[in-house]
Amino acid sequence: MFDRDLIVVSGKGGVGKSVVAAALAIRARRHGQRVLLIGMVDGAGIAAHFGAAIPGYAPREVRDGIFAMTIDRAQALDEYLHLQLNIPRNAPLGPLSKGLDVVTEAVPGIRDVITIGKVIHEAEGSWDLVIADAPATGQIMSYLRAPATIAQLVPTGRVRDQASWMEGILADAGRAALVMVAIAEELPVTETKEALAALEAEPLIAVAAVVANRVLSAPGFGSAALEDLPPGPHRDAALLQTSLVTDQDEWMEELRPDVMLPYLFGVHTAAEVAARLADTWEAAS
Amino acid sequence: MTAAILVTGGGGVGKTTVAAGLAVAAADRGLETLVLTVDPARRLATALGIERLGNTPSRTAGRDHLWAAMLDATASWEAIVHRHATPDVAERLIANEFFRAIADRFPAGQSYAAAEQTAEFLESGEWDLVIVDTPPAAGGIDFFLAPGRIRSLIGGRVLRWLTGAGLPGRRRLYRWTTRPALRAADAVLGGHLLQDVAEFLMDLRTIYDGVSRRARHIERHLRRATSIVVTTADPAPLGEAARFFRELPAVAAEPRLIVFNRSLPREWMLPPPPVPASGALKKALEDNLQRWAEEAQRRHDLQTDFAARYDTELGVIPWLPHPPTSLDELAAMMDVATGLDLAALDVPNP
Repeated sequence: MFDRDLIVVSGKGGVGKSVVAAALAIRARRHGQRVLLIGMVDGAGIAAHFGAAIPGYAPREVRDGIFAMTIDRAQALDEYLHLQLNIPRNAPLGPLSKGLDVVTEAVPGIRDVITIGKVIHEAEGSWDLVIADAPATGQIMSYLRAPATIAQLVPTGRVRDQASWMEGILADAGRAALVMVAIAEELPVTETKEALAALEAEPLIAVAAVVANRVLSAPGFGSAALEDLPPGPHRDAALLQTSLVTDQDEWMEELRPDVMLPYLFGVHTAAEVAARLADTWEAAS
Repeated sequence: MTAAILVTGGGGVGKTTVAAGLAVAAADRGLETLVLTVDPARRLATALGIERLGNTPSRTAGRDHLWAAMLDATASWEAIVHRHATPDVAERLIANEFFRAIADRFPAGQSYAAAEQTAEFLESGEWDLVIVDTPPAAGGIDFFLAPGRIRSLIGGRVLRWLTGAGLPGRRRLYRWTTRPALRAADAVLGGHLLQDVAEFLMDLRTIYDGVSRRARHIERHLRRATSIVVTTADPAPLGEAARFFRELPAVAAEPRLIVFNRSLPREWMLPPPPVPASGALKKALEDNLQRWAEEAQRRHDLQTDFAARYDTELGVIPWLPHPPTSLDELAAMMDVATGLDLAALDVPNP
């Protein structure tokens, strides 16, 4: 898992993408790696899972050896122009960056390519591993497809060369991979399967793992044993557990995850959840 | 006048179920009620009868006053263009590859289309109450911001800068594309990217007046509506919910209510009664209740904190063993829910 340069973590909204990204970062750190965690949409999830302030555009150490940043599109665009397109810092960028600003606002393919471009740029940098807390499944394809879209729209020039370079890195299974997070419920499972099918048809990035989050374990009693119990909290809690597990198992059958992370009862802080999931995941690997 | 309830919240919290539950409760009080949803789970869609009928409102089976429809968030930009552009401009726009890129990827387009459809149903006067399960676009709040964003995309600084004030003509565009700085930009970018974008935006500009007027109408509808926020006691949805409470007042009415879905009974947090079993079963039941009691405590703490911090009313829906998949199960869910009183949500009496 950790011998790549880039791991992109996606999943339907609300399934726990950020916590899985954070747990991966904690594990990678334990394997001795210097890790950068990037919030592609916002940094709130990352911040919560490390009990830190929301990270800005400049990477900041949130825990020993784990750095975090949030993509800011204006700054990413500026950096893209100077660093990736090799336009000198003192070049008269006024009208050009204004023109590009127009373009990025009007053509979201460019917006996406600048965001994913920053992620890839960092992944090719000095970090041992970059983990991207990516947009939800619904939007992830457009980000992954952005380099190819741009390569189509722009026939020649440096933008095109950059886009082709990005496309190559994403598609290289040794360098980049996607982790899909889901919970065993109808809509997340359906959406995950759709995304996996789309990636099979259009292999933009390798899939490293499908992670089922918030998995309930089978109770030590069957539903038959509960029928004779008098009403009360023991019976109610047992019925809830067995019903939820029954529904969950049905969707788990569809999802067939590579990794199962447990539901953590009564854990109050996001940072505690991330740390405990990292432990469990490490122990299971 | 038709009342509106906008149901907002993060992904995966049960927004659709809450919207449908409120709609069943309203219909059972005799109000002609329409529930609009985006992406329902299959069995719920079947219960509402929208699996077959899509985005034309249809009466649900078993409840005469309850209607349901899907909000169509896919053909959105095309619909906007067809509505507001002349036929030849519409054809040119829809064939343009930038248009395709926008239609596929600009979420404000989808949210705007959903808001526009909502406004149409509100204006039709056919219902007493329209309940909207808002689209889970990035940040969720997009639904409320979309009309303004569409106006500023089509009419804002982009086009003012490209063309100067006023409606652009092809001649202006020509002058713009021959400006040396932009020729240089195109040389760096490769091809005629900026010029292509400019031409595209020119066409888009022709629909500005129509879209702008309509968007203002829609904004007024959204401001008048009652909005409620649904969440579960998990970090990501709670973050989203907090964002609604902070940001919604700037663009629409302040949320009236926070609804905590998947809540657990308070009695589980009390010292447990004797276990009505023995041996291994006794131990398993005790351990199970112990885990759920800790979880119940955590959920209650978060609920109380949130309601106090944002000084808001609290609605609570118990964590049901199975999610409701029929109209009767939705009605049963509303019976066990607390704080979801329709009268408190400005819903008129029939």
